[in-house]
Amino acid sequence: MTEELFRDFWWLIFPVFGMVMAIFGMIQNGAREDAILRDARERLERGQ
Amino acid sequence: MNFEELFRDFWWLIFPIFGMGMAVTGMSQADRRTKTMVDLIKSYTDQGKEPPPELLRLAAQSFEQENPNTPATRQQSNAWSFVVFAALTAGFAVGWWWIRDQDYAFAFLIVAVTMGVLALGSLLILILSRK
Repeated sequence: MTEELFRDFWWLIFPVFGMVMAIFGMIQNGAREDAILRDARERLERGQ
Repeated sequence: MNFEELFRDFWWLIFPIFGMGMAVTGMSQADRRTKTMVDLIKSYTDQGKEPPPELLRLAAQSFEQENPNTPATRQQSNAWSFVVFAALTAGFAVGWWWIRDQDYAFAFLIVAVTMGVLALGSLLILILSRK
């Protein structure tokens, strides 16, 4: 049953991989933007 | 109905649910960051200070993404919309053709027709905005 399911839907690996990469990219991009904002806020609080 | 039957009937729902999830998450995060960015720039200018260049770059980048104002950017964006929608139309049409005897083939056809209409609309906008 599991093997049959895999045989029928093995190709889903590719779009699911694409989705995982999209989520990963979004998280990384978000972290980069958050770091820029955090840094700017810290500089402002330090009075620089 | 066990999990396998449920999965076989509704596996295609993975894609629209993922798309909706990404859209909602992306929109809420972008909104939150834009608000923070505007507040920070305002605080800097209120104190008579120059905002950090990376913050201004981020603001410009986000503004450009939200408002593609230059004609070249708009034209390029329209062309890309057409390419993406045309590719999706072709992909889902081929998918529908391969599985046209299955019960769930209608889902592929609906998506192919929707994407086809969007591709046609993008092409029309691309042609009409060339003046």
